[in-house]
Amino acid sequence: MHRFANPARFMRIAEPILPWTSVGALAAILLALYFGIFDSPADYQQGETVRIMYVHVPAAWMALFAYTLMALASGSFLIWKHPLADLSAQAAAPIGAGFTAIALVTGALWGQPMWGTWWVWDARLTSVLILFFLYLGYMALVNGFDDPERGSRMGAILALVGFINVPIIKFSVDWWNTLHQPASISRLDAPAIDTSMLIPLLLMAIGFKLFFISILILRIKIQLLKKRIRSIQLTH
Amino acid sequence: MTPKRRRLTMVGLGLLMIAAATALALNAFEDTLVFFYSPTDLIDTKTNPKKQIRVGGLVEEKSLLKSNDGLSVSFTITDLDNSLPVIFKGALPDLFREGQGVVAEGYLVGGLFQAKHVLAKHDENYMPKEVADSLKKSGKWKGGNKQ
Amino acid sequence: MDTVMAIIRRDLSLVMRQGSDAFVVLIFFIVTVTLFPLGVSPDPLILQNLASGIVWVGALLAAMLSLDRLFQTDYDDGSLELLVLSPYPLEIVVLCKCFVHWLTTGLPIMVISPVLALMLNIKTGAFLYLITSMALGTPIISLLGAVGAALVLGSRRSGVLIALLIIPLTIPILLFGVGAIQAATEGYNASSPLMFLGALLLFSIALCPWVIASSLRQVVS
Repeated sequence: MHRFANPARFMRIAEPILPWTSVGALAAILLALYFGIFDSPADYQQGETVRIMYVHVPAAWMALFAYTLMALASGSFLIWKHPLADLSAQAAAPIGAGFTAIALVTGALWGQPMWGTWWVWDARLTSVLILFFLYLGYMALVNGFDDPERGSRMGAILALVGFINVPIIKFSVDWWNTLHQPASISRLDAPAIDTSMLIPLLLMAIGFKLFFISILILRIKIQLLKKRIRSIQLTH
Repeated sequence: MTPKRRRLTMVGLGLLMIAAATALALNAFEDTLVFFYSPTDLIDTKTNPKKQIRVGGLVEEKSLLKSNDGLSVSFTITDLDNSLPVIFKGALPDLFREGQGVVAEGYLVGGLFQAKHVLAKHDENYMPKEVADSLKKSGKWKGGNKQ
Repeated sequence: MDTVMAIIRRDLSLVMRQGSDAFVVLIFFIVTVTLFPLGVSPDPLILQNLASGIVWVGALLAAMLSLDRLFQTDYDDGSLELLVLSPYPLEIVVLCKCFVHWLTTGLPIMVISPVLALMLNIKTGAFLYLITSMALGTPIISLLGAVGAALVLGSRRSGVLIALLIIPLTIPILLFGVGAIQAATEGYNASSPLMFLGALLLFSIALCPWVIASSLRQVVS
């Protein structure tokens, strides 16, 4: 963990990975789209509409994953003061917000034909909306200071405080009566989803994750370069 | 008090409060923040017929009836213990069928639920039709609905 | 204990001398709530259904108003630095400040809310639950709000930022507060939303001062 905290070493490792993750992301997403649209069966209840799941569910997973990563990075930034941890938390926020928005929009598109409504205020939907607000609040707070260092620290504390929402989102469907159905994949017995449908779902999840990693590396790299430019300008 | 002892007392008090809060929350967990009530919930409580509520459960098998003019439907919502008759005028969502989960929004008037909106609740099982059929045939069907 | 009293007395007298702050919050609360009968409908039945929600939303928004001043004045004149560096535990100092904020905003809001609820034609049976939910909920707003106030200290446009950060976090208070009142008016059991509010209050008393203190330390260091 600490070994990667050195920006130069990070770039030496991340730079060669980047092309692989970008190509991998593209390939996995295209493959998932192919399987999802052409080579997977319609659901016994939902018919063709079930294909929205192949985007909705992986996006929702990424929304939670990105926030968890952000909170972990924020924690290690506050404890060990690694500048790289702060950079990755800040880099993850807009990507996570984007995935949350995708999950919310595809959820509405899925809800309209299946449930008969675009939106309901049940515990799952509301808590995901709060997650979206938390992402926006974090980004506003980090950029709200004239001193960027100060923004990083305050944002890190907010990210940690907001983490309380993540388990609430995860378990909301089990704890309360919601219109949203419970999880299909993370059940203790076999997943309640047929293999032919699991393939595009997991492919898309892998694709999204690789996409996330690629954008994360790119964003960190940009910030590191910006920092270097600033320090060069200061010394000259 | 020395600073160290004071810090210990503070941490102790904080943990005590968190424990009490957890106990309170767990105690209250059962019946709050429900998006809908089950027919059983509605038996014991008196409800205001002018207040909109939501009832959720499964649509009972062979309970769906269309009226003669074809505009309104009636069906029964059951939680497998108790059931509640519902009438509804309007378009049902695609996923509405007997044996499937449903949430109805409307008014409970004298034991009859007059629904203003009907939302379908789908379960966490996803599979192609052939698999569902063969599972049912072989008796391995675990899904909550038997249609 | 003496220190606690001294801090509370100091903050109270500061607020009292500025005077207008608590007053402005109250006026804002009354004005926002008055907008609803005019904007939505003066129909008593519609208002009765909405009353608990309107009062709670108004209270939430009003309590946000005075938050940005919570640490700002101490930060500007440098006394915040003294408080952080003093050997007395910062968590306790912060808790006192939250208490004073509640005394000067939450308490007046709580006292005036039954009057406003009456204007919205709320059922008389709901008064007890309205006041109880306010008594449990408004201190949480002060504590959470203080977290926001500590986080945005020294930023540009801190007032708007606090609202942006804190309002999403206060949604559970709103849900359970309104839930308790509505359960009571509908004849359901109102004790579990109140128990939830109580749990949230205990959680916030235990955790918020700690978060606030650590962000204040970050500010000063």
